Amino acid sequence: MIPLRVANRKAFVWDVGDIAMLRSQHRICGVFTGTLPHLSQQNLFLGVPMVLMPEEVVLLIENELAVLVDDPKAHIQPSIGELQRWSLKEKELAQSQISHAPGVAKEPPGMSEEAIKKRKDREMKKAMAAEATSSAGPENALSPAETAAPSAQPSETQYTLVIPAASTSFEWYDDGMCRYTTIQAARAAGIWDYPSNLHERAKCGVFRGLWEQGMYLGGGIKFGGDYLVYPGDPLRYHAHFSATVLDSPTSSLTPMEVVAHGRLGTVTKKSHLLCGWNDEKKEVSYLTIEWAGFG
Amino acid sequence: MEAHPSYEPLADVLHKYPRAAGSTFQAYNDIVLVQRWTQVAIVELEGVSRAAISGKKPQTDATLYVVPCSLSETLSFGWLQTAFTLLSDPPEIFLAITSDDASIVYYKICRGIVKPHV
Repeated sequence: MIPLRVANRKAFVWDVGDIAMLRSQHRICGVFTGTLPHLSQQNLFLGVPMVLMPEEVVLLIENELAVLVDDPKAHIQPSIGELQRWSLKEKELAQSQISHAPGVAKEPPGMSEEAIKKRKDREMKKAMAAEATSSAGPENALSPAETAAPSAQPSETQYTLVIPAASTSFEWYDDGMCRYTTIQAARAAGIWDYPSNLHERAKCGVFRGLWEQGMYLGGGIKFGGDYLVYPGDPLRYHAHFSATVLDSPTSSLTPMEVVAHGRLGTVTKKSHLLCGWNDEKKEVSYLTIEWAGFG
Repeated sequence: MEAHPSYEPLADVLHKYPRAAGSTFQAYNDIVLVQRWTQVAIVELEGVSRAAISGKKPQTDATLYVVPCSLSETLSFGWLQTAFTLLSDPPEIFLAITSDDASIVYYKICRGIVKPHV
């Protein structure tokens, strides 16, 4: 059972093996959200944790493929001994990093032999230039480039920082008492409340309906729908459909929506799926929209 | 409208479903005069309070169905499904969407999940 760690009503997956399993075995792709602590603005290449859409979570729990873990609760107050052992390990790690980073500990940056030589050269040039100016007069003023202050030598040493991602390595992490195998149990524990209304039930129902047909689903915002529907792994296939969820057979649908979805889909070689949820029968039906090609 | 040559075949349904009269009249004229479909006929769909138009595209043999509606109407998923059922579940229907300025656009709607053709 794959642990989905819940914090603030969002489910995260931290283990790379679990992420691979979700994608390859269960057609659940999620979205990576992890950035580096000191580069939190970079959002091009994200990593763990993976955050799941709530519909994905509900499906995984209902199919008994995953459990929900109340992550904040799994961090138990550590004992003095545990903290001391942790602190010792951290110190050892820091020491080993220092010993693997030569140049940093030994010489202060910018004072290598090469740097000293360069500085001397610069000073000599400056002196010569000053002489030239005084003899040739003010119209031969120095260009700013020559007067610029000597720039600091860029350090070429690369650092490797090990940032442990998972809390499971902590001695004081124990999720044994806060694992929930059903949505109801997690709801009762106050950590999860999706789906809580008709619209959310409709989304879960439609997600399941498409997933059970072997599709992969991703967020649909790029094409103005609720989901993008892929016939295989999104890394290998283009989406065939964008899908919107209609909460009930009677919920309103304007012709303008038909035009907007249909036309955008046609331009992007997709069809649009209207997914109608019937909450009494717990059934989904589909209608596919495409531009007619005339008129 | 009464003087228009298209009025006669439509007279019955225009009176019976006055709210859909404008879009029905416009779609019928477009199908007959612009798209030049053949064997055009009127199919009454009481459940969606209007008439559909059946016919064949030029040089083809499949009977197709056009369901007219106005851009300002509000439809629903169930409404579209009813239209399919009343037409005995054809593989596709064409929704003709009309607007006040006489423009018209057709969208093909299929039941179920139908892959886009490449």
